[in-house]
Amino acid sequence: MGVHMKTALKSLSVLFLLVAFAMMPLYSQGSKETVAPKGEEKVTLTFVEVLTSPSRTKQLQDIIADYEKLHPNITINLISPPYEQADNKLTMMLNSNQELDIVEVRDHTIKQFVNNKKIIDLTPYLEKWDEYKDLLPLTVEAAKTVDNTPYLLPQFFYIKGLFVRTDVLAKYGITEMPKTLDEMYADAKNITGKVAGQYGYGFRGKGSPFKISDLLILANVPNISKDNIYRTDDGEFSFNTPEAKKSLTAYKDLFEKAAPSDSVNWGFNEQVNGFISGTTPFLVQDPDTVSMIGASLDASQYTVIPMPVGKSGKAYLDYGFAGLGIPTSSKHPDEAWDFISYVVSAGVNAKFCKEYGPLPVHASTYQTDPFFSSGVYKAWETEMSQPDTYVFVKYPLESAKYPAWAQTEEPSMQAFVLGQTQVDDLVGQWETYWK
Amino acid sequence: MFVPTFVFLATFIYYPLCKGVVVAFQNYNMFDLTNVHFIGFKNFADVISDKNTSFWKVFLNTIEWTFFSLLLQFLLGFVLALTLRKPFRGRGIYTGLVFYTWALSGFAIGLIWSWLFNGQAGLVNDLLIRFHVIEKPIGFLSDPRYAMMSVIATNVWYGVPFFGIMLLAALQSVPNDLYEAAIIDGAGAARRLFSVTIPYIKPTIVSTLLLRTMWIVNFPDIIYAMTNGGPVNRTNILSTLMINKVFRQYDYGQGAAIGVIIMTLLGVYSVIYLQVAAKKDGT
Repeated sequence: MGVHMKTALKSLSVLFLLVAFAMMPLYSQGSKETVAPKGEEKVTLTFVEVLTSPSRTKQLQDIIADYEKLHPNITINLISPPYEQADNKLTMMLNSNQELDIVEVRDHTIKQFVNNKKIIDLTPYLEKWDEYKDLLPLTVEAAKTVDNTPYLLPQFFYIKGLFVRTDVLAKYGITEMPKTLDEMYADAKNITGKVAGQYGYGFRGKGSPFKISDLLILANVPNISKDNIYRTDDGEFSFNTPEAKKSLTAYKDLFEKAAPSDSVNWGFNEQVNGFISGTTPFLVQDPDTVSMIGASLDASQYTVIPMPVGKSGKAYLDYGFAGLGIPTSSKHPDEAWDFISYVVSAGVNAKFCKEYGPLPVHASTYQTDPFFSSGVYKAWETEMSQPDTYVFVKYPLESAKYPAWAQTEEPSMQAFVLGQTQVDDLVGQWETYWK
Repeated sequence: MFVPTFVFLATFIYYPLCKGVVVAFQNYNMFDLTNVHFIGFKNFADVISDKNTSFWKVFLNTIEWTFFSLLLQFLLGFVLALTLRKPFRGRGIYTGLVFYTWALSGFAIGLIWSWLFNGQAGLVNDLLIRFHVIEKPIGFLSDPRYAMMSVIATNVWYGVPFFGIMLLAALQSVPNDLYEAAIIDGAGAARRLFSVTIPYIKPTIVSTLLLRTMWIVNFPDIIYAMTNGGPVNRTNILSTLMINKVFRQYDYGQGAAIGVIIMTLLGVYSVIYLQVAAKKDGT
C-alpha cells in the first residue's frame, strides 16, 4: 500500500471510531415495548428509586417479583442510582425526557419536578382508588404539597423521635426518660466527661443540620405557624423572638458541654456511629434508623421516646416524606398507576415499612398492626395521636429559597456554635435570607 | 490529518467549554428549567456578593491551599528526585512504593485520611498522644484552626510523586560533563546544585510548577471528601464552591459563573507567570 493510502485509511478508521463512540448513547435506550407472539401485550415499566440502600433495594426487588407474578404481562425494570447522586440522576433523566414510568419523589424534589412539568397529576387515579379513604389525613396533605394537587402518592413518613441508650444512661444512674428538652439537655450535660470519651448528645453539624436543630430550638417558641416553621402565627420570623434567641444560646451550650467538638462535622453516619458506640446516648433521628441500629444493638440496650417538649409545652415536628409519581414522559401511565397502587396498598406498605423502618401511610395499618404501636414504634404512635402536644409543621418547600437554605444555614450555625458569631447577628443573617 | 484530532477536540473540549460559558450568563437552575433566559452578569454578581459564603474568603482559601500544597510538594519532590538520581540497591522497588500515591483516586485518599485525622479515634491523634506531643485529641477536620493544614498535608502526601517523577527525568538529562567541569573548578555540592543543576532543569521546573498550580486550584476531591469546604467555610475553595452550587443548590448558572472565574484567573496567571519566567531566562 502506498503511504497516502495508509494515512487515508488511518484517518478514516479514527473517524469511524469517533463516530461510533459518539453514537453510543443511542444504544443505551430505556426499555422498549415488546409485543408477545400471542395473547396479551407485554409491557415493560421503568422504575427509578432514589433512596437507594442495599437492603431497601432488595426489598423493592422482592415486591416487584411478587407483582410480576400477579401480572405476567408486565415486567418492571428497577434503576437504583447510588444514594448521593440519585436525586441528581433522576432530575437529569426526567429533563432529558427519558421514558420512565414510575419515579420516587421526595419532599424536597417535588416542587422542582412540578415546576418543570415532569410529573403528572394523580387526581383521576386517586379518585377511583378504593384505598384512598384509608390514607391518613397527613398522607393526603403531603400528596398535595404543591398547588394543593396530588402529584405524588406518599409511601413513607420520616418523623423525628429521640433514640436513647438506656443501658448507657443506667450506668450513670439515670433511669427516667426526659419529658422536656430542659431535662434532656441536663441529662446530656450531666453524663458528659464522667468517663473519658463519654458525651451526651449526638450533635448533627453537617448535611442539612437544620432539620434537627430547628426542632430543638423552636420548641420553646409558643406560636409557630403550622404552614411555615420559620414564621410565627403573628408573621414574625421564628428565630427573631426572645424565646428562640435564648433557645439558640442553650443549643450552643449543649454543643459545648455535651457533644464532642468533632461533631460540628458530624453527618448522619457519624451520628448513628456515636449512638451505637455509646459515645452519645441521645440521638434525634427518623424511624428508618431503627433497622440500622437494630442490626448492631440488642433491643434491651436502647429505646425511642417521643421528642421532649419545649418550654411551649409542645414539640414541633416536620414530616419528611417520599413517595411515587408518574412522569409525563411515560407511555404507560395506567399500568404505572396499577403498580403504584399495589406498592402503596395497605398490606404491602405495612410490610415494606416494617422491614425498612419508616412510618406507613394508611390509617388501618396503625389500627390493626400492633408492630407500629408497640416497642420503639410506640414513640411515633404517641407523636401521631396527640396533635396538641406534637404539632406537625411544614417547611417552606415551595419557596425558591429553600434549595439553597441547607448550604447557607450550615456554615452560619457552625460559626455560631464555635463562638465566631453572636446570636443577634446569626438571627439577622437568617432573617435577611428569608425576607 | 488534523481532521480527526480537530473533531475530537471540538466535540469533547471546545463545545462543552462554550456551552458552559453560555450557561454562566443564564438563570439555569433545576428549580425552573422551563424558563432559561439570559440574565447578563447577574450570576457573577450574586456569587461575588453572596453574604453567606464570602467570595473573598473562598478566594484567599484557594490561594492558601494552592501555595502551600505547591511549595511543599515541590520541595519534597525535588529532594526525592535528588535521592533517586544515583542508583542504589532496591531503588526500583523504592521508586515504585514512593510513587504509588499518584495512582490513587483523590476522593479515596480524602476518605482514608479523614479517618486518619478523626478527632476521637484517628491514627494521627493516637500517635501524637503516645509520643506526648499533645494531651487531648485534636479535631483536625472540625476545628477551623487545623482543618486547612490537614487537607494541605493530605494533598502534599498525594502530590509529591508528580514532581518526583518529572524532576527525576529532568535531572537524569543533565550531562555529566557539566558536573565534571564544575568539580574541577572546585564547586561543592551546594554550588553544583544551584549553579549547574537548577539552571539546567529550569524549563522543566517552570512548566511543572505552572501545570501543578492549575491542577491544584482545580482539585476539589480531597477537600470534598474530608471536609466539604467546612467547618465554617474554612476549607472552601473555588472548585468546591462550584461543586456545591451545582450539586447541593442545583444552580447551574452560578456554578458555571464560578467556572468562568476560575478559568479567567488561571488564564491571567499563566500569561503573567510565563512572561516573568521568560524574562528571567532571556536576560
